[in-house]
Order: sequence, then structure tokens, then C-alpha cells
Amino acid sequence: MSKTFFIDLTKCTACRGCQVACKQWKKLPAEKTENWGSHQNPKDLSGVTLKLVRFNEVEEDGKMQWLFFPEQCRHCIDPPCLDAMTVPGSIMHDQETGAVVYTDLTMKEKDKEAFRDSCPYDIPRINAETGAVVKCDMCIDRVKIGLLPACVKTCPTGAMNFGDRDDMLTLANERLVKAQKKFPNAELIDADDVRVVYLVQTDADSYYQFLSADASSIQKGPLSRKQFLAKLGSPIKRMSS
Amino acid sequence: MTNHWIDIKNSDCILIMGSNAAENHPISFKWVTRAQENGATVIHVDPRFTRTSAKADMYAGIRSGADIAVLGGMIKYILEKDLIFKEYVVNYTNASFIVGDDYKFDDGVFAGYDPKTKSYDKSQWAFAMDADGNPQKDATLQDPKCVYQMLKKHYDRYNMDEVSSISGMGKADLVKLYETYAATGKSDKAGTIMYAMGWTQHTVGVQNIRSMAMIQLLLGNIGIAGGGVNALRGESNVQGSTDHCLLYHILPGYLKTPLASQPTLAAYDKKYTPVSNDPKSANWWSNYPKYSASLIKSMWMDEDPKTAYNYLPKLENHKAMDYSWLTLFDKMDDGQFKGFFAWGMNPACSGANANKNRRAMGKLDWLVNVNIFPNETASFWEGPDMDPSKIKTEVFFLPCAVSIEKEGSITNSGRWMQWRYKGPDAPNGLKPDGDLLYELMHEIQELYKKEGGAYPDPITKLSWDGIATNGVFDAHKTAKLINGFFTKDIEVKGKKFKKGDQVPSFAYLQADGSTCSGNWLYSNSYTAKGNMAARRSLAQTEEQANIGLFPNFSWCWPVNRRILYNRASVDLKGNPYNPKKAVIKWTGPKTKWQGDVPDGGWAPDARYAFIMRKHGFGQLYGPGRADGPLPEYYEPLECPVKSHPFSGTLHNPTALSYDNEEKAVCDPRYPLVGTTYRVTEHWQTGVMTRNQEWLTEMEPQVFVEMSPELAELRGINNGDKVTVDSLRGSIWAKAIITKRLKPFAIQGVTVHQIGLPWHFGWTWPKNGGDSANILTPSVGDPNTGIPETKAFMVNVRKA
Amino acid sequence: MHTNRRNFLKLSATAAVATAFGGLGLGCTPKATMVDHAAALDPKWSKQTTTICCYCAVGCGLIVNTSLKDNKAINVEGDPDHPINEGALCAKGASIWQLAENDRRPDSVLYRAPYSSKFKKVSLAWALEKIAHNVKKTRDETFTLTNKKGQTVNRCDGIASVGSAALDNEECWALQTMLRSLGLVYIEHQARI
Repeated sequence: MSKTFFIDLTKCTACRGCQVACKQWKKLPAEKTENWGSHQNPKDLSGVTLKLVRFNEVEEDGKMQWLFFPEQCRHCIDPPCLDAMTVPGSIMHDQETGAVVYTDLTMKEKDKEAFRDSCPYDIPRINAETGAVVKCDMCIDRVKIGLLPACVKTCPTGAMNFGDRDDMLTLANERLVKAQKKFPNAELIDADDVRVVYLVQTDADSYYQFLSADASSIQKGPLSRKQFLAKLGSPIKRMSS
Repeated sequence: MTNHWIDIKNSDCILIMGSNAAENHPISFKWVTRAQENGATVIHVDPRFTRTSAKADMYAGIRSGADIAVLGGMIKYILEKDLIFKEYVVNYTNASFIVGDDYKFDDGVFAGYDPKTKSYDKSQWAFAMDADGNPQKDATLQDPKCVYQMLKKHYDRYNMDEVSSISGMGKADLVKLYETYAATGKSDKAGTIMYAMGWTQHTVGVQNIRSMAMIQLLLGNIGIAGGGVNALRGESNVQGSTDHCLLYHILPGYLKTPLASQPTLAAYDKKYTPVSNDPKSANWWSNYPKYSASLIKSMWMDEDPKTAYNYLPKLENHKAMDYSWLTLFDKMDDGQFKGFFAWGMNPACSGANANKNRRAMGKLDWLVNVNIFPNETASFWEGPDMDPSKIKTEVFFLPCAVSIEKEGSITNSGRWMQWRYKGPDAPNGLKPDGDLLYELMHEIQELYKKEGGAYPDPITKLSWDGIATNGVFDAHKTAKLINGFFTKDIEVKGKKFKKGDQVPSFAYLQADGSTCSGNWLYSNSYTAKGNMAARRSLAQTEEQANIGLFPNFSWCWPVNRRILYNRASVDLKGNPYNPKKAVIKWTGPKTKWQGDVPDGGWAPDARYAFIMRKHGFGQLYGPGRADGPLPEYYEPLECPVKSHPFSGTLHNPTALSYDNEEKAVCDPRYPLVGTTYRVTEHWQTGVMTRNQEWLTEMEPQVFVEMSPELAELRGINNGDKVTVDSLRGSIWAKAIITKRLKPFAIQGVTVHQIGLPWHFGWTWPKNGGDSANILTPSVGDPNTGIPETKAFMVNVRKA
Repeated sequence: MHTNRRNFLKLSATAAVATAFGGLGLGCTPKATMVDHAAALDPKWSKQTTTICCYCAVGCGLIVNTSLKDNKAINVEGDPDHPINEGALCAKGASIWQLAENDRRPDSVLYRAPYSSKFKKVSLAWALEKIAHNVKKTRDETFTLTNKKGQTVNRCDGIASVGSAALDNEECWALQTMLRSLGLVYIEHQARI
């Protein structure tokens, strides 16, 4: 059964357990940061930061919302980044889980930026030390032995969930109904297209421009959301047989 | 906590006030969220909109230090609208008690005040007693001198308009807060309070908490599932370290430290053993002599407790002003101390008025600091504005093992004592604190045995090998000693015990030295059944599972009772007020109680519910506190106003302060209210977390949060480096300009508030900044001595 | 951090846990490899112990995996069987591995002599002996048998102590016993502030 994350942002407290749990499991080093007038740090994803909680404040009609967005690779159902691959084996698309995994062969890719450019969510980054293109790998080593991804395991409030895709979509729809009682604009983002489904309490752009593929198409190419969705129907390279 | 973490899920209304639980107790939000999913309302009252506010159903801003105005207003609201849980209030609180004729309250000052000593003669607040020596009562609550009527009169002044104008909280928010919380006064509803240092670190800290405890009593919220008064304690074992009383005024198990006026154990016991003439009052502290003798025995095993009582040092009094933290550093600054241990602490950053504390350490002959990482205390002599060539203090820095490298127990905020096992070896041969202190004391003991010295008996006769095996500190042996064992063959309660048998519980302790117990509260934690704290069974009965008691997982004091005062959760027949969330239930004389361990096994109504109180009742009127029997509004000792609406007494007249230290009251140089706090990513002074790159990556530098309005006034941009000044000192910080902070309208004037974390220190990281406690004043609560670091006056300017 | 990371990778390599993708069942070209961190959790390579988080007083349960080869921590995460946290941890709890495996931990006792401008490394035995002598000297010089009123007080007013909620219960009890047997009355700790 293929896997899916369901991330309920109405329940995220930005404790950032997930951000650290990711580094702890993978033993990724810290970046040198400074306070830049925000609690969000590092500022962005990077070659050593694969999971990042973004903070944004929105105030409407005197009502303050502090929005938290734990960002990661969406493990697309039909990953557009596969198109950026030129070295066979640099991306693995695991048929069992649906995980999209970048391997050390990405070091041999000539156009590494193409991975990021191809991503409607602006996720892949290059690790400066190794030259590999990197992103969340769904903790595939954990998932394969029946453990939860490190970020999901550590989440206290039920914001991060992981499991069989059908179960997660059922949970997502149940939570959506409940969330809409408090947040009428709550919605699920790109649920049909990705394996990391976010439930937002207000419009996705208020969290971050690349939270939904729709928003990203306005900001940057190469694919518009329409193109992205259209692509889903087209034949793509599948490296995992 | 009267209750425990999982129990939060049982609540219908969670008031988070004086704490930022989502950030500082992040996993508590597992249970807050669970409650919310079950329909609970979560309210956050705080000077700042935080990660807690972001998840709350309601947020209301409050100026730091104005809590008693808001809570006093809530008491008035509850009484005026008659929203109390009347049966509970009559049966379980002292609402019906008649207050004596000497009690007076006039313009913010209670009867018995002596301005010279800044203290009260509390005997003037006593209850009127009947012929049997018990408090007079009026169960109809009509007597004008009964506590209930006194409350009505006292809080009549706390009008919505005035509460709003002094606290800065809008009236609509006040009404919504009062209405929502007071709705938990129904028998089938539970309201809980989650508070932390946002309430304690004030010159009215104790009365902040008493105000809420009174509200909980009025609404029948104590003793029940989803209720209680819940202090969210901030350190993994600060509950345990408090229980074991590393504090000037108490000995393990909250026994009093002996005073010079108590020359014998008999005199000491007599002073602290309360007597009630009411047969229905359990008056549990009547067992005091058993606990004191057993404690003394555990320390000096070969001595008669009467003799060994002499070995305990005697204080002159128990006044916070004479002995507590702030005065300890004041006296250090005066040169009183030659030697100083800072064991597992970093007072150069953690204490209010940090510059004073750092200066004071330069007046010592020697200082021993034990910690995981180098820190500002060990290195104080090379800190900012220090000249090492002029500082004589000899410094020993002893690094130690971390928690996962050693074995022993810690007690969480819900009083769960939990065992930890050793995982990895500590690097570089580093040892646990227990090994270090065992070896040090062993060395001192040998010196005294060899050379003699001043009054050597307490040292030479100390049963120090009671905590070690083959010369190495032994956590199990120590835990067994804390539980206690029999020191000779005796029979207690019809059971025969042999010398060396573990005491089953504190009910078996004796006053004659035939038992030892290092801490009576922990008696029952390591028994013939083994190490109770190490239990990991999730088994529970249906009733227990219904409210998540987990009685077979770890162990909690006292005697594994998970919810304190649980006899108040049932009516006088033993039936739960809320059967859907029953804590205990009387099932008849044979089968007795089911559910939690009851507060005493007596049949319903055989004893009053509040067994630790002399008279057996929850104290709406509390004549034991230093600053009054009822909470009263006072401004912080540094404040932005010259007066407040409730009386002509601006400050707590008994507050702990030093006359030679200036305070900023309506001082144009320091027009902003300042407060300090913590963030999820760091902990306390940051010694442990600042040295971890994963954490400093997320919060690398000291920051100051301020509103856009204030930033504009000061010409400050987001991310700018700014300077924050107070009368005590200045620090730099990175500006975070955020709408999460709002200017307050206080008595018609705009008052700005800023806040900053106290996690940083100059040693590491190099560009991280210094402690916010450089700004905070040496003033404190008269009961506890806790410094007022949550409300003080500052200014901010571009660096 | 880099040293630690290298240590981990070294451990991983010697434990042969850097697994070809085939090993993870991804069914792909064997040239692509990744470190299979999960393999190090196998009882062949590490032992598991439970502990409780050292930060706030929620009391979350943790599982620590310690390498059998060198007794160093290799992974620390939430204990799913703990009823309070059910496996969850916040940012601080999730970072505890780094508290232990940390280059900034000192490798010896440090001593600063009066008026000196630097610490020097000393042995623990030397330090404990010197501290013991200091304690005795100060205690003997400042011990008070009776107060001004002539009442017996048997106390040492010349030494103060602060700490600590960071100690285990058993250590707290032992520390208060040590301090009180020395006659100290100025005893405070985190609970006061």
C-alpha cells in the first residue's frame, strides 16, 4: 500500500520537534544563522535542512493568526522532478511506498538546479559539501521497517500523520470537516497529486507562496499548475521497475 | 500540579494564564489539543500573542503584572451572578467559617501591618473559634463575617471598567473570559488552569495563584478530572528537587527547617504538628513527628533522632527577606560568604539582577560550579567588565555526565516519579553528579575524622555510606533509603517487619527511630514490591482508563494518588459529581473506593475532604500568607502608573526589596513595561541548549519583541540590533517587530510592553548576546522570595 | 558537529549499515547507496534504554540507542509506549543526542587560581581534595554554635549553595544531606527563581 503524509496545520504549534528530529535521524549538521527579525530559522531549506517550519503572521479584522508551515518534499504522485534527471538512478521512485528518493548519483548530474526548477513546490537543494541534490526521503529507511518518519513520530499534537494513502485521505477529509467549523476557509491542498497533503486554516498563500502548486505557478516556472496537472497524465520515466 | 498532564484532556475549559504552554511545555499540547477535540475551550491570557495563543480559541492581552485585577474581577463576577458550585463550596471550602473580630482591611492594607518591619501580625486574621476550639461556621453563608460574605465585600471594588483600565484587557474580552470560565461551576463541567512563572515571578506571585485557587474552589474544580491548580514546572526534576527541599526553609517532604528557638526535637515537633479538635478533620500533618524522626534517622542512622536533631543547623527565622535567593546574593555582595557551590546551576544568568550576582561572586574565596558545559558562572571572572587580576575567587569547574548517561529518578510536574536508565558512557570519564558529591563529602568526612574541627559530629557521624555501594554512589540504594526501611524488628498495624525491610508506605513510619525515611512523601516508591518508579505497565481499570490515570505506569506521590484532593470530586455519599469522568467512587463498606487512590480510605463524609489542612477545608480565606488572607491588587514594584483603582496602596507593602536599590516607578527614562520569557528551542539560561547547534540554529541570538507602534516611535526596523536599558544594566538584542504585541491603554494612557528571552549568556555562542536578567530587579514575593522578573521597567533604543 | 557526524558515519560504516538501495527493497541500480540509519537500531549493533527528558517537567519518555561497539549514543527519540508523550518530542527533546555527543563537553576539571586570567586543567582527585580542604577551612572559621541570644544554632554561615533541579531525586536528597550535615542554611535552587 502506498504511503501518504497528512499534515493538519490547524494543530501545528511550531514546536519544531520535526525540524530537529529530521536532523537528528539523519545526523545533518546545523547552519550558521542569525536572528533576522523572525523566529523562523534557518531562513530557507538548504542542503542540510530538509524540513523547515515556516512562520507567518496574518492579521485580518483585528484577528491575529500566527501560521506555521512545516515544509518538506511532497513526494508527488507523478513527480515532475523525474524529468530533470539525466543520470539513471539519481532519483528513485519507490513503487511500494511512493517515496521519491534522491540518491548520491545526483552528485553526477550536470544541471542540478533543474531539480529545483522542475519542482512546483520549490523543494530540492544542493548540499555544498557533497554536491548531491537533496530533499526529504520520507525516512525510507524507517518506513521500510515499519517505523514512522522521524518528523511524524515526534509530532505531539497530531498535526503530522503518516500511513496508508487511503487511511490518510480519509483522515484528511474527516479533519477538514471539523476544521471548517472553526475555520470556514479551511481546505486540503493538492490532495490528489501529492503524498504530503496539507490542511490549511486560511488561504495557502498566507502561509507561504509555495505551499500549494497553484501559488507557485504565479511566482515561478517552469510549470504552471495546469501544466503540472496535465503532465500527470503523460508518460513519465519510472526508474524503479 | 494537583492533577497531571494526561488529565488535561478531561477539561471543558482550559485557562492558560501566566504560562506559554505550547512553547515551554510543548508536549502538554498533546493533551490540550485532545481536550479541544473533545469540545473544550482553550483561553490564553498573556501580554504577548504566542504559539499558545495561536492555538487557543480565545486570546486576551494583559499588561504584565495586572493578573489580580483580572482574577479579582472574575471572583466578583462569579459571586455576583451566583455561579458558584454551592454544595461544594459549603461542604469543602472554608466559605462558611467566621472570621475573627480583629480582621480589618483598609485601603489596600490588612489588619496587623507594621511599616517598620514591612510585615503583618497574622494573628489578627484568625478565625473566630467555638468552645471546642474549632472555627465557628455558618453553613447558610449569610453571616456578614463568614468568609463567603467577606469575599463578596472584598472583591466588590473589582469593577469591569476599572479592571479593564488597569489591565489593558478590553471589556468585551473580560466578559467573554469570565462567562466562559465561570461556566465550569456546573457539577458536570471541569475547568483547569495551566500557569507557570508568568504568575510566580511577581511581588504578588503567591496571591496570583491563590486568586485562581479560590476561583477553582468556588467553581468546584479542585479534586476533579480535568480540573485542579496546575503549575507547569519548568525543569525536569524541579518537582523532585523541591520535594527534597534544596531550599532554606524546608527539609525533605516539606518539613520545616528548625529554628534557633526550637532547642529540642520535641519542641520542634510541637511547633509544627497542628492540632485539630474536630474528629472529622484528618489533619494529616498530625503525623509530623513520625516524618521528622524518620528523616533524621535516614541521615544519622546510628544516632537517636533526639540527639541527631542537634546536628541539623538552626535558622533565626523563616523569612524570605533573610535567607532566600535574592538575599543570598545580597549577602554575598556584602562579603558574608567565603565559599559557594553552584551545583547544576548558572546563577550568573539565572538570577534577577545578574550584574549584581556576577559582582558578588568576585567577593568569594572559592566557588565550585558543576555543570555539563562551561558557563557564565564558572567563567564569571573573565566576563564583561571584569578584571581577572583583581578577582581573588578560586574557581573549580567540574564537568559532569548528562541524563542519558546515568541512572536515577526524576519527578515530573504531575508528581510522577520516573526511573531513568543509563544508556551511553559519559565521554572523557565524566561522572554523574551523585558520584561527584558522594566523593566530595567522603573526602570531607575523612578530613574531619582525621583532623577534627568545628562541631564535627554531624559530619563524622553522617551515614554517608547509606547512599553508596563499595564506595560508589548507588541510586537504587539511595532511593530505598528515601522510601525508608525498618531499623529494627517491629510490629506496625498488625504486621511484623524485620530490620531492613522496606517501609510499605508513610502510614508505617514511626516517631521513635524504629523507621528511617529520607522523605516521607516518597515512602511507597521503593517497597518490597520493588522500584515502583520503574513500572511501565499501561494496565488500568475501565474507570481509570476513562480519565487516563495510568496507575501502574511509574509512581506518583503521595501513595500513587494521581489526582490530589479527590475526595472533593464526590458528594458526601461518595458519588462522583460528574459520573462521566469519575475520579473515585464509593462502592460500599466492603469494596470501598474504586478509581484513583482516594485521599484517605475513610468512608464518605467520615473525614473532611482537604486532609492536609488543619481544619479540613479548602482555603478561600488563607490566613497563613505573609501578605494577607485575601489576594489584593498591587502594582509591580516597577510600574508605569502612579496609582491604581482599587486602593491607595500602590505596591505590596510586604514585598521583598532592598531600600538602597532604586526602582523605576513612572520614570520617564524607563517608560516601557519589560518582561522575560523562554522559547521552545532553549532552556533556562541556555547552558545546555546554547551548546547544541541544532537548537542555536533555530534561535541563535537574544531578541526583543515589540509592537510596530513602538518600533516606529523609536525608529527601529525589524532585525535591527537594539539596546535595552533598565536601572540595573543594558543588553543588546535583535528586534523582532510584531503585531503579536499591542500597546495597552492603561488608565487612558498608551503603555508599551516589550519582552525578551533569558536564555543567552556571553560565553557561547559568541554572537548570541547576554542574559535578560541583567535588566531585572532584585525584588520579590514576600512569601516565596521569587524575584519579580515578569514585570519591570525598561527603555529600548537603536544600538 | 562535523566531528560528531564523521563519528557517526564511521560507526555506520564499520557496522556495515550503509546499505545498497536493494537492501531497502527499492529495487534499483546497486550503484546508488545511502546510509540506512535504521539498521543501526538492530540489537546486533545497539542496545536500547529508556529515559526521561531532561528539560521541562512534562516528563516525556525517550528511547536511547547506544552502540555496542563504543558505548556512544547513536539515536535518541520519543518512547511510543510512554503514556504522556506517546513517542512525541519537541525541538529540545528531539535534540538530546546532541547534548551527549557534543564536542563542547569539557574533557577535564578546570581550575582557576586567585587573580589568574585563565583556567587550567586539573585532575578530579586533585580538585576534590582541594575543595574538601576549602570547605573544612571555611566551615571551621565561620561555624556558629550559638546565636546572639545564646540559642544553639550549629550552623555554617560562611558557605552558600544553589542547585539543583537538574539533579536526579537521589542526588538531590544526597546533596541536601551533605549540605545540611555541613551546617549550611543558605541553600537555594531553581525552585526559588
